[in-house]
Amino acid sequence: MNAELFGSQVNVWVDALVRVLIIVGMMTVVVMGLIWFERKIIGRFQMRLGPTRTGPFGLLQSVADGLKLVAKEDVRPKNADPWVFELAPYFVFVPTFLMFVAVPFAFGFQVRVLELGLFYVLAVSSVSIVGWVMAGWGSDNRYAMLGALRAAAQAISYELPLVMAMIAVAMVAGTLNLQEIVLGQSRLPNIVLQPLPAFIFFTATLAELNRTPFDIPVGESEVVGGPFVEYSGIRWSMFFLAEYAAMFILALLGSAIFLGGWAWPMGEQWGASWQLLLTTVKAGAFIFLIFWVRSTLPRMRVDQLMGFSWKVLLPFGFAQIMVNGFILVNGWPAVTSGVLLGTTSLAGLFAVGWIVQRSVSRPRPRPVMMARSEAAQ
Amino acid sequence: MKGLLRSMGVTLSAFMRKPVTREFPETHRELPERDRAFPLLLWDFEQTEPFCTGCHACERACPVECMTVLMKDNPNHKSAGGDSTRRKIIDKFWIDYGRCMRCNICVEVCNFDAIAMNNTWSGHEMSVYDRADLVQDLPQLLSESRGGELKAWRAP
Repeated sequence: MNAELFGSQVNVWVDALVRVLIIVGMMTVVVMGLIWFERKIIGRFQMRLGPTRTGPFGLLQSVADGLKLVAKEDVRPKNADPWVFELAPYFVFVPTFLMFVAVPFAFGFQVRVLELGLFYVLAVSSVSIVGWVMAGWGSDNRYAMLGALRAAAQAISYELPLVMAMIAVAMVAGTLNLQEIVLGQSRLPNIVLQPLPAFIFFTATLAELNRTPFDIPVGESEVVGGPFVEYSGIRWSMFFLAEYAAMFILALLGSAIFLGGWAWPMGEQWGASWQLLLTTVKAGAFIFLIFWVRSTLPRMRVDQLMGFSWKVLLPFGFAQIMVNGFILVNGWPAVTSGVLLGTTSLAGLFAVGWIVQRSVSRPRPRPVMMARSEAAQ
Repeated sequence: MKGLLRSMGVTLSAFMRKPVTREFPETHRELPERDRAFPLLLWDFEQTEPFCTGCHACERACPVECMTVLMKDNPNHKSAGGDSTRRKIIDKFWIDYGRCMRCNICVEVCNFDAIAMNNTWSGHEMSVYDRADLVQDLPQLLSESRGGELKAWRAP
């Protein structure tokens, strides 16, 4: 029962333990870095400086925050369901953690190369919603419950477009193995062939992560803090950790399946450090885009959110899969099918833009009460 | 959709601009010369003595009575063998900055342009642990002007 780890044979359990420790350590560091990065970036978007006091450029701000959270009192509401309340953070944290297994950083630089990597990531990522609902239910708080139900509705709605986008890409790549998907993009990243699924993936990612403009479950003005109103200290920081880790993983995933991951450009030729740099830059760009959207757009209403998912993203995802099927089934040469895929997908993207433009700029009927009061005068 | 993309552009342009906030205690924004902090006394560099003659005009005009002025005969006056034209000069001067409301009336009533509002950051960063420390005496009131730290002050 031996496995290969860094070129040497070790016991599988030792191997597993080492890999888990590496992931947990990396996840924590990356999350702290991301929080600092977000605060700096959002600060610049609002023409502020962001944190500057703690350490050079405020780099130790996350460490200070983490220490504060760990040192806080462990509060549990009297009426909370003890088991559900206390297990909820783990149910959010562990699936996020499991997603790390299949995500590729560089060639041969990932925990496991899974044959069904994409499917695995999708399957595992949707488990964390159980934790959200548990947190909402276990807190015995109306705001938490409302937030949890909103989170569940939103996550389930946006899981489908996410899956559709990924299926479209998997059709083009011809595999579900993430490493092979990345390898297949060594000449051309998938976003050129599939701009519409890339857009759907990005939008659905924002919703899955509960980021602005889809931060309805955690909207402070409506449901205070969403499912984690009653959480504080280390439990709350676990939710936070899971949220940012999920953002990091989905950014890695997005850069792997759409932006060419470590393979484009010249990934295979120029070695592992170049590949790691590529992955970092692409994931960083993806995350920067998330922050950019966050600093720009206001929060949507629930009906807008649902309508966008079910009426726009999902049908277009289906349409993309159909079109992909009709093009790919012919077995045309790569250039022909590539051009066809790219143009149809780009047309689909413009169609989405046109539909959104039409729906936001259409004349709206006067609200009933207002019309009635005007008639009475 | 168009508005959405345009708003993304707007935020990006904000991102590219220089932050307007400053790291306050280390870097200070430049104050205008008409900035009105607490009042202080001006130093006459030609006669090497204060402009103030201790005439009590400011003390009488002060609405919050934060000033205490004592006058004396000028030892540097011509009659005493000196070269100053001031017969009387300030002996002791206290201003309680804890009371002062920075109304500028003392500056307006002064017949000798001897008192001015501090227009440097030292007039704003005055926090102390004891209120008694806010009462400034004559050397303290003159130090800014003597040090040449006040920016060119012009009568309004």
